[in-house]
Amino acid sequence: MFAKIKSVALNGIETIGIEAEVNVSAKGLPCFDIVGLPDKSVDESKHRVKTAIVNSGLEFPNKKITLNLAPADIHKEGSFYDLPIAVGIICVNYDISVPENSLFFGEISLDGSLRHTKGALLLALYAKEQDVKNIFIPISCVNEAAAVHGINIFGVENLRELFLHLRGEMLMSPIDVSTIKKKSSVDFEDTSIGFGEISGQHQAKRALEISAAGGHNIIMTGPPGAGKTLLARALLSVLPPLSEDESLEVTKIYTSVGKIPPNGSLISQRPFRSPHHTISYAGMIGGGTNPTPGEISLAHRGVLFMDEFNEFPRIVLESMRQPLEDGVVTISRSKGSLTFPSRFTLVASNNPCPCGYSGHPNVKCNCTSRQIDLYKKKLSGPIMDRIDLHVNVLPVETSELKNKSQSSSQYLRERIQKAREVQVRRYAEEGIFSNTEMSNIHVRRYAELSFEVESLLNLSAEKFNLSARSYFKIIKVSRTIADLEGVENIEVKHMAEALQYRCKNTES
Amino acid sequence: MKYKVREIDVDDEEYPILLRKIPDPPKKLFCKGEWKDQVFENCLAVVGSRRMTLYGKKVLKHIFDTLNFSKLTIVSGFMTGVDACSHKCALEKRMATVAVMPCGIDYIHPEDQVDLYNQILTNGGLVISEYGEDSRPQLWTYPKRNRIVAGLCKAVLVVEAARGSGSLITADFARKFQRKVFCVPGSIFSDTSRGCLEIIKDYAQPICSGIEINEYFGLGSFSCDQNLFDNFSLHGVEKRIIETLKSCPATQDEISDFLNISVSELSSKITLLMLNGLVEEKEGRLYVCKN
Repeated sequence: MFAKIKSVALNGIETIGIEAEVNVSAKGLPCFDIVGLPDKSVDESKHRVKTAIVNSGLEFPNKKITLNLAPADIHKEGSFYDLPIAVGIICVNYDISVPENSLFFGEISLDGSLRHTKGALLLALYAKEQDVKNIFIPISCVNEAAAVHGINIFGVENLRELFLHLRGEMLMSPIDVSTIKKKSSVDFEDTSIGFGEISGQHQAKRALEISAAGGHNIIMTGPPGAGKTLLARALLSVLPPLSEDESLEVTKIYTSVGKIPPNGSLISQRPFRSPHHTISYAGMIGGGTNPTPGEISLAHRGVLFMDEFNEFPRIVLESMRQPLEDGVVTISRSKGSLTFPSRFTLVASNNPCPCGYSGHPNVKCNCTSRQIDLYKKKLSGPIMDRIDLHVNVLPVETSELKNKSQSSSQYLRERIQKAREVQVRRYAEEGIFSNTEMSNIHVRRYAELSFEVESLLNLSAEKFNLSARSYFKIIKVSRTIADLEGVENIEVKHMAEALQYRCKNTES
Repeated sequence: MKYKVREIDVDDEEYPILLRKIPDPPKKLFCKGEWKDQVFENCLAVVGSRRMTLYGKKVLKHIFDTLNFSKLTIVSGFMTGVDACSHKCALEKRMATVAVMPCGIDYIHPEDQVDLYNQILTNGGLVISEYGEDSRPQLWTYPKRNRIVAGLCKAVLVVEAARGSGSLITADFARKFQRKVFCVPGSIFSDTSRGCLEIIKDYAQPICSGIEINEYFGLGSFSCDQNLFDNFSLHGVEKRIIETLKSCPATQDEISDFLNISVSELSSKITLLMLNGLVEEKEGRLYVCKN
C-alpha cells in the first residue's frame, strides 16, 4: 500500500516542493527506513513519528515501511518532515484517501502534539505560488502563515485532531485571518532613548535623520564619550515601521533560522543588529556547512550598527563590500550556494585615532601623525566609499549637557515617515523602496539635476576629489534631503548640504 | 540666417576698455549679436590647437566644470579644434561667449561650423571682427585676429598648442599686453603639448583646474542667484558665519547654536563657502582661510 504526501524542503529562504512517499509492504520483516538523503534530524523523525502515533491512540503498522523523500537527490534537514511522514503512514494504515491539494509541515512531539516549527511563512508563500489550497501546520505557526492570503490555513494542535479531520469524523476549520493580531513578533531592544534626550549634536542628528529617511549608510567619527553609541541607539526611535512587502522579506529570513517565536506574526519593526567586533566573518556574512544567514541578512531592511568599526577584523569588513553595494549576498559552499538579501543600513562609529582624542576640545591627543595614518588605513577606501554620510561627532561641553534638545524623536519620526512614503510611491514600479537603492539608471530618472545643481556637483567633484561612486551617493543623499523637505526638485541648497557629509578621506 | 551688423568706433563709449589699451587697437569693430557692456567685464580667452587631441577635449571639459559660469565670458577664435570646443563648452554652461573672426564679419570661417556660428548668436553670444563685409581670411589676418583675442581678455588660457602655432602668438600678445597667461601642461611626448610646455618655462602659469582662474579674476567658484559672491563681498548669513569663524575656529554645531540657524541651512552655506575657498575643515572644525 502506498501514499504520497506533499510538503516542502527549505533551502535558505527558498523552498523546494517535495513528496513524502510512504510504502507499507505486507512482506518482509517489520522495519522503518527513510531514504532520500535525510540528515540526522530527519532520520530521527521515525522515532518521534512512531511514538507519537502510538501515543495518540492510533495504530502503528508493524510491517516493512519504506519512506522516500523525493526528489531523492536533495539533502533534507530539519524536523518539519515529521508531519508529512506521520500523515503518510496514517493514511496508508487506515486506508484514508490522501487529501488533495494540501501541504503538511511541522515537527511532532512524542505525545502527538505539534511543536513550533521554523519556516511556516515560507511554506505558506510556496503554497500560494503553487496554487495549493490547504496547508496543515502547527497551531503556533498560524499567525505567521496568516500573512499570506488566499489559502486555507489549518492550525493543527495534535495528531489525533488531524486524524479525525482526515477521516471526516470531526472536521477542522481553516483559520479566520481577521482574528490574527498584528503585533510585531520580534522586538529589537527598547526604544527608550530618544533624540530629545540627547543635547547638542545637531549635525549628527541631522545626518541620522537623513540616514533613516533614505536608508543611507552612515559613519560617525569622534572621541570616546562623544555620544556616538547613544546617537546610534536613538536612531531606533525614529525608524519608520516596515511596509507590508518589506515586512514579508524580513520575516522570511527570520523564520528560516527559527527566530520567530510561537504565535508570532510578521515582523513590523525594522531590525536593529549590533554585533560585537569579535564576530567571525561567517557570522557577519552568513555561512556554515548548510549556509545560514549572517548579521547582514538579519539586519535586512533595518540597521546594522557596528560600534568601534575600526576594531572589526579586516576580513569581516572587506567581505561586506559586495553586499553593501548589491543588497544581496551569495554564500557558496561545497553543498551548494545560497543567496540571502542584505539591504541594510550600515551605521558605524569609530575613533579618529588610536588614543581616541584627536579633535577633542579639552583632552590632548598624543598620537603621532603616522599612528593616525595607520589607524585610518585600517578602513579601506572601498569600504569608506560605500558609506554615504560621514559625520564628525565631538563631545558636547559639559555646561550644555543640561540643555534640552529641540528635536524630539516624535517630530523626526513623522518627517522621516513622510519622506519614506514619498519614496515608496516614487519607486512603486521599480521594485525598490528607498533612495539608497537607486541604481545609476534610477538616479538619472528620479534625481534629475538642474543645470546649476549639476555645476555645483561637478565643481565639488574637482575640489573635493570625489570618486564616481561618491558622486552618485551624494546625488542620492541630496534626493533624500529634498524628500525630507517635501520638494520635488533637488535644489542647490540640498546638494550643498549633501556635500557636507561626503567622504573626506580622499582629500589632500 | 541674417544678423544685423553693428559698427563700433574706437572712440565710442561702448568700445571694450581693455582692447582700447593695447598699442594698436582696431579702429573699428564689426559685430553681430546682442551687444551688452558687461560681456567684456571678465573675459577669458581659451585658445589652442586646431588638431585637438582626446586629452585636450578632456581638459576643456574638466576646466569648464570648475569655471565660474555666471560671471566669465569665453573669448576664442572660432577655429576648429580647441577654439570651437571652448565655444561649445561655454554654450553648454550657458556662459557668454565671443568669437573673434579673422575674416569679414559677413563671412563664416570655417564654413562647416555654421551651426556653431548660429548657436553662438542665438544664445546671446557675439561674433566680432575688425574687417567689414565678406572679405576672406588671409595668412596675415590670423595674427591680427589673435591680438584682438588677447586684447579683449584679462587672461588667456592655452590648452593645447604645438611649437610655433597660432595659439602661442595669442599667448605672446597677452604677455606683451601684460595680461595673465594660463596654460595646461601635457605630456612631453605630445606634439600638441610642446608649445604649452615652452611657454610654461618662460612665463605662463600652469593650472590644474578652473578654480585657479576664478581666483585670479577675484570670483567665487560657484555663484548663482541664491548665493552672491561678488569679489568676495559677502552678505547676510555667510558674512556672519565668516565673522564668527574669524574670532575662533568652531564646529558646525557651535555655529548653529551661536547664530541660531538650523544645521541643515548652515551645512549648505558652508559647502558654498568652502567651494569658494573661504572656509576649510579639519577634523570637524571649521577655519577661515587666509585669502
